[in-house]
Amino acid sequence: MIEGEERKAYWLHTKWQMMASLLPFVVALIVLPLYADALNVKRVLGSPLGFFLTCHGLFLIAFTTVAMFVNRQDAIDHWHGAHEDF
Amino acid sequence: MVVTARTRLVNPRLGTYFAIFAAAFTALVLMALMLEQLDVADVILRAAMFAVPLALYAGIGVCAPAWEPGDFFACGRRVPAFFNGLVLGVAALGGAGFLAFTGAMLMSGFDGLCLGIGVYAGLVFMAVLFAPYLRKFGAYTLPSYLGRRFANGTLRIVAAAVLSAPVLLLLIAEVRFAAYAGARLTGWPESLAAVVAVAAVAGMLSAGGMRAMTWSSSAKAIAAVLALAVPATIVAVMLFNLPLPQMTQGNILRIIARIEITRGVPIVIAPPLAFDLPGTELGEIPKRYLQAFGSVGSLGFMFMMFLTAAGISASPVLLPRAGTTPGVYEARKSLGWAVLVAGIVVLTLSADAVFLRSILVGQVLHQPADQLPAWFRELEAVGAAQITPGTDVVALNNIMFQRDAALFALPVAAGLPQVLVYLALAGALAATLAALAAALMAISAMLAEDVVHGLADDVAGSRARVTVARLAVPGAALVALWLAFAIPADPLQLFLWAVTLSAAASFPVLFLSIWWKRLNAWGAMAALCTGLGVTAFVALLSETGAISLPSALAGVVGLPCAFLAAGIVTHLTPAPAANLLELAMDLRVPGGETLYDREVRLQRLKGRAPV
Repeated sequence: MIEGEERKAYWLHTKWQMMASLLPFVVALIVLPLYADALNVKRVLGSPLGFFLTCHGLFLIAFTTVAMFVNRQDAIDHWHGAHEDF
Repeated sequence: MVVTARTRLVNPRLGTYFAIFAAAFTALVLMALMLEQLDVADVILRAAMFAVPLALYAGIGVCAPAWEPGDFFACGRRVPAFFNGLVLGVAALGGAGFLAFTGAMLMSGFDGLCLGIGVYAGLVFMAVLFAPYLRKFGAYTLPSYLGRRFANGTLRIVAAAVLSAPVLLLLIAEVRFAAYAGARLTGWPESLAAVVAVAAVAGMLSAGGMRAMTWSSSAKAIAAVLALAVPATIVAVMLFNLPLPQMTQGNILRIIARIEITRGVPIVIAPPLAFDLPGTELGEIPKRYLQAFGSVGSLGFMFMMFLTAAGISASPVLLPRAGTTPGVYEARKSLGWAVLVAGIVVLTLSADAVFLRSILVGQVLHQPADQLPAWFRELEAVGAAQITPGTDVVALNNIMFQRDAALFALPVAAGLPQVLVYLALAGALAATLAALAAALMAISAMLAEDVVHGLADDVAGSRARVTVARLAVPGAALVALWLAFAIPADPLQLFLWAVTLSAAASFPVLFLSIWWKRLNAWGAMAALCTGLGVTAFVALLSETGAISLPSALAGVVGLPCAFLAAGIVTHLTPAPAANLLELAMDLRVPGGETLYDREVRLQRLKGRAPV
């Protein structure tokens, strides 16, 4: 178990990771649906772009967000020695 | 101290067991298809598609009994990330996702996406904000976590009372969805189908609690995903020769858009705060599929998406699942699987809606009302669709559809065998039962652990705790059944109220309890009560017509009020004691023993029963 100053550094790092994970995702959640109608005039893979980005794009962003979060947070845990013991 | 590797805790044969289940389920469907070709009576096929999977789910549950609290409430903390994610993804969607979301997408098009996106966004928030920390804490229920985190028994009782409201609403909604899917599948009255489904779930939960629920719901999730994928894939192959319904819907969308423009379907613009998704009765198709914000306004879309995300991420029904994984890392990873499963299911449901809409606009729109295709007459006969009486040539707003029928209407419209219609219903029923089991388990655990044992200093031993929980399951099931038929509300509306209450009451207090260590018990209590009270009051005002904000969006007022109340009350009351600050800091570090298990171990060493 880590102690003292290392805990503070670990938590600071974790908070930054939380914000770095969620802020871009939240921005995408707001922006993509709002501009869907305007983007529907263009096409990607045969699909109207606005609908494609809202339906498929947000899912891909969500999955990438979680995958990167799991990977990076695990690295942070090991960097600070805060990982699980076994 | 004996140290066991986490991988050793997981049963290595789980994959084999569930492969056997998937093979058995597939064999059942193939057998039913053959029997259909041999002209076996329809009633036998329906009974087989309802009873055999239900018996398999119940059998798996009963074969996983639990005798110790750790098994009964947390499945022995042995659930691999994949299975936990599979159950989480399907239970988060439940009947509301499989039945109502598909119908909302069919009728409201783009606007229905706010629900589906909200669900998997909620799982992302859960992964980042809550699940790893609640796994480290290890409490069996959210009220138990809050009570221990702030060392306050009153808070535990208050939390149980407040959080039981969204759980009960969700439970009632899922009972109603199960009744609908069961009745459509069997032809029985909805009340009988509900009683059979709830009895099967309650019996299994009573025997094995979270352990039975986990393995039974894994089977349900596999069945639900298979049942969803098969008809959608067949239709995708029929239309595009490509077995990827999620990727082929785009081409059809362009065709739908072109037909709707040439047929003069109007563009409807909703006020920003409008939230008008279809109800349970037959309703008109109001707008063009691709057009955004025609039934749900732009603000309504955003609010609902974020409320669903907040409500799902802090759901008292889903979050206790974090405690079933072997460790913090697996808890995070399981949420990754959950997002993947929920996202693919949402894309497939959306593809189902697009395919059905395409068949509707291609074969029904602009046709003489007396020359409609046979499949539409078939849907009319079972009350799933209708053309407005007195119509000569069908316009889009003359087509009336029952929202929850969309999922099983696709195989009917595509001319697939009747067994595939029953398969779609069996899949929806499986997903509904997974969500129903999760809600029933959550409310029973809260009743047993937090209400019955919450205030006592010397709590009974393991056997008494498990016995009380076993008895709480049928009690809660009976209340839910009674309420499901006493409250004549739309189940989607009940689901949305559950989500909005969960977002306003549960999200702020959980967020602050992890990310703001200054929060004290009074602040937590203020957040819980303000979130629930303000949201319920705003929803009441909305239902009486006093304000124009839709009741499903009441949480947008309650959620910030709860944050504000927590901040103000915490600053006006004494700071938490040093041991609670230490607990808050322990909670944030994945390493070390699970906090709840450590507390139980220390109490055992002192000769006291676990609290």
